[in-house]
Amino acid sequence: MKNTFVAFACLALAGLQSNGAEISTFHAYVDSDLCARLMLGPITDSRVQCSLQTVKEGSSPVLVRLKDNVVLTVNKQKMIKEHVGKFAEVNGEAKLKAGTVKLDAVKPVEMGAIPSGDSGRRLLDVRMYKAASPQIVEKVRHELAMMPYITQFDFISFTMVGSDVILTGWTVRQTNRSEAFNRVKSIEGVQNITNNIEVLPLGMNDNQIRAAARAALQRTLSRYFWGSGSDIKIIVQNGNIILLGAVATKADSDLATIQCNSVPMAFHVFNMLKVRTPAKS
Amino acid sequence: MNPRNNCFKTLSICMAAAVMLGACSGTAPSGIKKIAAGQEHSGFLKDYSALKPNPNLDADALTFVSTDAQKNLRGYLAIMVDPIDIYVATNADESKIPESSRAAVAKYFHHALVKAVSDAYPIVDAPGPLVLRLRAALVGIDAGGAVNAGDVPEGGKALANAVNIGKVAVEMELVDSETGERVAAMVDKASLGSGAEVGAEQFSRMQKFAAAREAFDEWAARVWLFLDSSMQLTGEDADKALKAYVSYGSEAETGK
Repeated sequence: MKNTFVAFACLALAGLQSNGAEISTFHAYVDSDLCARLMLGPITDSRVQCSLQTVKEGSSPVLVRLKDNVVLTVNKQKMIKEHVGKFAEVNGEAKLKAGTVKLDAVKPVEMGAIPSGDSGRRLLDVRMYKAASPQIVEKVRHELAMMPYITQFDFISFTMVGSDVILTGWTVRQTNRSEAFNRVKSIEGVQNITNNIEVLPLGMNDNQIRAAARAALQRTLSRYFWGSGSDIKIIVQNGNIILLGAVATKADSDLATIQCNSVPMAFHVFNMLKVRTPAKS
Repeated sequence: MNPRNNCFKTLSICMAAAVMLGACSGTAPSGIKKIAAGQEHSGFLKDYSALKPNPNLDADALTFVSTDAQKNLRGYLAIMVDPIDIYVATNADESKIPESSRAAVAKYFHHALVKAVSDAYPIVDAPGPLVLRLRAALVGIDAGGAVNAGDVPEGGKALANAVNIGKVAVEMELVDSETGERVAAMVDKASLGSGAEVGAEQFSRMQKFAAAREAFDEWAARVWLFLDSSMQLTGEDADKALKAYVSYGSEAETGK
């Protein structure tokens, strides 16, 4: 009887491993999908504000595992929604490759409760978010900017923790996710890579929103679009439009919001456009 | 008037109209499409005038890529691949290239194209926003020799006559799946199937027809190469992409 039980337990464990799943307890920051993929790095006041505001506006709540900054989407959003902007101890079955976690339990914790030797505590320190060398930053930037299959509907960003790179953003092509990883991996001096790039489904409704949003933006802000690319990136995720990139003036940024608000079927427009500061003469 | 007579009269008029319509569209009664005598191209593409030699491919390929800000290859997210059209050579004996033979080569090339372009775009099966439609034709297939029963393994179905692909060219275009506007096109006259023949309906796993299979795979790979090279950022486009790249992690990167 005992032997049978042990055999079953081994089989169950083997099954979990072959799925790439691991049952674990970890510390996490409860974030919004939008802020988790844009505001990389330490949990600052502005990050907390971003999390609270964007979840309120419709961005999905997600977990950011503190020890390595991996963004995990959850099976039961209700279990974490009330903890947005806070830290939590999470127990569940995580599939790191897929970036998902099947939740068993979520318990809120204070930052002080995270042991000082814990790797998660280390990554909460703002001083950690510094690249080992500016040359590596420039190389990573160059490699990501030169990716051939990046369209107006993809956005890939990164940050560095010493010699480690955290990749993030959204893409509509699965191959872009692995291409970004491989390009950065090939850069001399880069050690570990956390790949938080989310692959967006190509649903008919989202595609209609993408096409309509681009057409609306090109009508009034055509100077930001050229044949092979654009300054404005249009990310569409479950009916929400996220505008990224940079424009010359605040007026252009506001105009982009107005244009996208007129897109049929779009639920909400998150305008995350940066306004370029003119170079001093 | 007898209502039965009326019915016959209407039916005859309809049949005559159908025959006339068929004749006007230029499709032979057998359904075979043929390259007109003395013509360089098949007529599969509406317009050949914009095609130019492509430095990324050899001299056998002529291509066109739209640089329009709204209708260009980078503006699309998925692709659907239409069934392949077949044009037989001008002097080919049509009776030796029946529907089953044409279907065998069309089916394999469709499969090869889908496999090749799926590296560039996700494949979908219906038109829609941001979806490209790939239309392609194999042009110039000819009748080959008789097929020996021994060449086709058990379970395979031999064609009455082999299909010769020695002088085949590929014509293809990518159009907007909703409006039909052309985004890219290619005519590839690379002679890859020299001496190659297809002698069975399911020839993909038969060693005897490996040369044909390789030729189809290579033509499909050249279509992918054309798309891939068109997507690479070079010159002014590369400068613009670098300038436009914004990293939202930049403040943290420098530890500011």
